[in-house]
Amino acid sequence: MSDNFDLASHYPWLPSSLIKYYSNLPDDPKEFISEIFSSTISEEISERTFEIFKAAFNNLENVVYYKLDKLNVYMYLLIKILLIVLNDKLLTNRVANLYSKINYYDLLEENDYNIYHICNEELNLNVQYLPEGEVYGNKSYENNQQQVITNFKIFFIDYLNLVANLRDEYRKLINNPLSNGFVFLKKKTLIRLLQEYVRNKIKEVEIKEITKKDDLLNIKGFRELLEKISAAWKNRKDEIEYYEFDGTEDASFYPPCIQEIRSKAKEGQNLIHTERLLILWFLLALNVPIEDIVKFFSTMPDFDQEKTTYQVNFAKRKGYKVYLCETLKSLDLCRANKDKEKICTEGYYSKTQEAQRKISSPLQYVHVRQHRNRRESKNKSNINN
Amino acid sequence: MSDIDYLKRLFQDYYRKKTNQIPPIDSLNQREFGFIPWDDIIIMNRHISFVNYEAFKNYLSKFSPRHIYSSGALYNNPDHTDMNKKGYLGCDFLIDIDVDHFYTPCKKDHDLWYCKKCGKNGIGMAPNKCPKCENSQFKSLSWICEKCLSLAKNEIFKLIEDFLLPDFKINKEELKVVFSGHRGYHLKIENEKIRNLSGAERREIVDYLTGENISYEILGLNDLNSNLYFLEDNYGWTKKIINKIKKNIHDYPNDVLKDILSDFGLNREIIEYILNDKNNFLKNLWKIKGLGEKTWVNFLKNITKNLGAKIDVPVSIDIHRLIRYPGSLHGSTGFRVQELSLSELETFKPLNEINQEIDPIVFAEKKDVKIKIEILENKVPSIKIKGKTYGPYNKGTIEIIPLHVAVFLLCKGVAKTRSFIDD
Repeated sequence: MSDNFDLASHYPWLPSSLIKYYSNLPDDPKEFISEIFSSTISEEISERTFEIFKAAFNNLENVVYYKLDKLNVYMYLLIKILLIVLNDKLLTNRVANLYSKINYYDLLEENDYNIYHICNEELNLNVQYLPEGEVYGNKSYENNQQQVITNFKIFFIDYLNLVANLRDEYRKLINNPLSNGFVFLKKKTLIRLLQEYVRNKIKEVEIKEITKKDDLLNIKGFRELLEKISAAWKNRKDEIEYYEFDGTEDASFYPPCIQEIRSKAKEGQNLIHTERLLILWFLLALNVPIEDIVKFFSTMPDFDQEKTTYQVNFAKRKGYKVYLCETLKSLDLCRANKDKEKICTEGYYSKTQEAQRKISSPLQYVHVRQHRNRRESKNKSNINN
Repeated sequence: MSDIDYLKRLFQDYYRKKTNQIPPIDSLNQREFGFIPWDDIIIMNRHISFVNYEAFKNYLSKFSPRHIYSSGALYNNPDHTDMNKKGYLGCDFLIDIDVDHFYTPCKKDHDLWYCKKCGKNGIGMAPNKCPKCENSQFKSLSWICEKCLSLAKNEIFKLIEDFLLPDFKINKEELKVVFSGHRGYHLKIENEKIRNLSGAERREIVDYLTGENISYEILGLNDLNSNLYFLEDNYGWTKKIINKIKKNIHDYPNDVLKDILSDFGLNREIIEYILNDKNNFLKNLWKIKGLGEKTWVNFLKNITKNLGAKIDVPVSIDIHRLIRYPGSLHGSTGFRVQELSLSELETFKPLNEINQEIDPIVFAEKKDVKIKIEILENKVPSIKIKGKTYGPYNKGTIEIIPLHVAVFLLCKGVAKTRSFIDD
């Protein structure tokens, strides 16, 4: 738990932290970078920053040696500069996910006052603290009633701003208790929204455009760190690119609706509830191993290994069927027309029925592609023979 | 003089003499304006702006367009033709309630449709496909009556009293309501913070207002094994749904209730159970034979649809939308787009308003002017204006009618003038 006065050093993304620690920061980050790498902290800050990147490459949820000290404040800015120079969307999302998750766990340890202070005084959000707690509903378990109480409510416009990129059903305004202009929410949920703020903040390019990248690369310590990160990331990225749910179908046979979800996930973007269900049921139907499916979801900003493993196992036991194309259209998940995919829009020719048939589900798409692929391979081998 | 020229002159007369009835709107110089002139081909002239209110009024006096619109959005350069270069500053939250977009029982009395392919016609809302040739393009004649305009008014009150005030706590002073001059009402929320919302954030508000994308699972309403009465005090939509079910059950006599529950997708057996256990059935849904989760959720969907406000969704989400200017005349009816306070709205009767200050039928003032008209359409439904019913008419009917009724029929394009008669 932090005392109020050191919140700024614990959470470098707070506006007061920027004022307190970076008041002399010039527009060009060169001065800041050269100061860091010519000082005694150079080695430690490099190591700790690399640890963060390494953990992000592997989609870990925590960094063992993460410390809430003054160095952490400089590290935040260094990470932002590195991400701008590296200019890699996937990496930026991964680092942002990890960094925000670390902050989420730290914020969970904060007392109510500090959370209130961060929201109102620092982030200028209209969050109200209800010292006595307010009952905003009940939960019903069979014939038992349990009151739902909270100490926090947030003005609906601030709520909408914070959840703008969180697209799951739980965050939708309609599925939340709204009264008198405020959304009532548990402290943990409020902190989850703060996590989202941090995630976006680290991706924000608020440091003046780094136009003279070469100037930064002339600083030895910075260059070495950058090269170390780039090399490690290249190896890891290659693994990710080739990762195709080991031993199962070629993902290039997946239909556009699934490809879209895959590319969003790869970039570490949030998936909406229906997208998550679609990909989950689809992968289960293709017999992709549970651990690989869990690995697929690990790029999500709100990934929780234990919960995800439970949910994937639960879905497997229940044996849910993959959405049909008709349902995907109504859920606005169908990409057939957007991607102008012929198999989806025109269907395929069925030899047995001597007719053009429509595709009715994403799985059928995979089967058609597999069939065509087998046919082409056969033709090729006939030619070779 | 052609009928179009005649209407233009009438509109011009209004814009010259009644400038005091065309109010200035907030940040007028930062709004984009759009006008539809009196040409045969309907094209809107957009990207127009005015330095001030006087310049706007002068434009109206000079050109007197058929339709007048202004943007909900504010821009640095409202007259720039490239939307990306307009310098978007924010947008008021716009809500359009138009009886054209939802079912009203009276449509079967006054709306007509014709299939563009085979000519088959019918009454009420146009079907999705022509029953004769399966074509999906129709010409339709949407009419208005006191009943459907009253339903539109109910929707505005529902919106304000069930959503905007209790849930969103919108300040009453920030709500600007107008009668659209035709088939409904517009509501504009002028609030600095709301102006900054993105399209996606507006979609969240729209979903809340309409009940779209609700999750009964998250709200705990689909669990047949739990006691749903426990959820009656939950803030937000849960409370609305439980209260609506309870209200229906207790307010209606059994014979009416049977029909309502049946319309909401429940079968006879389930309805009987509910009627026999009105006070407790929400505690014991699991006991109801034949009630599965699918039926229950379908029932909840119907309740939700009934509770949600029937708004024209794209209008509220689109941040570059233009909306009719208050005080201007609607070119399809000749009625004024009438600004109303919430207290005025309560008793407001668009087709028969006694209070002259807010009477949208501006040409009713000229009581002495009568016009002989000839009906051009095969069938024209009746219209009750100022307490008197005119029509229904068949093609070729010639009748002498008051100016305001003639303007309505001329604007609708279903009649032409034969001669002007001054008493």
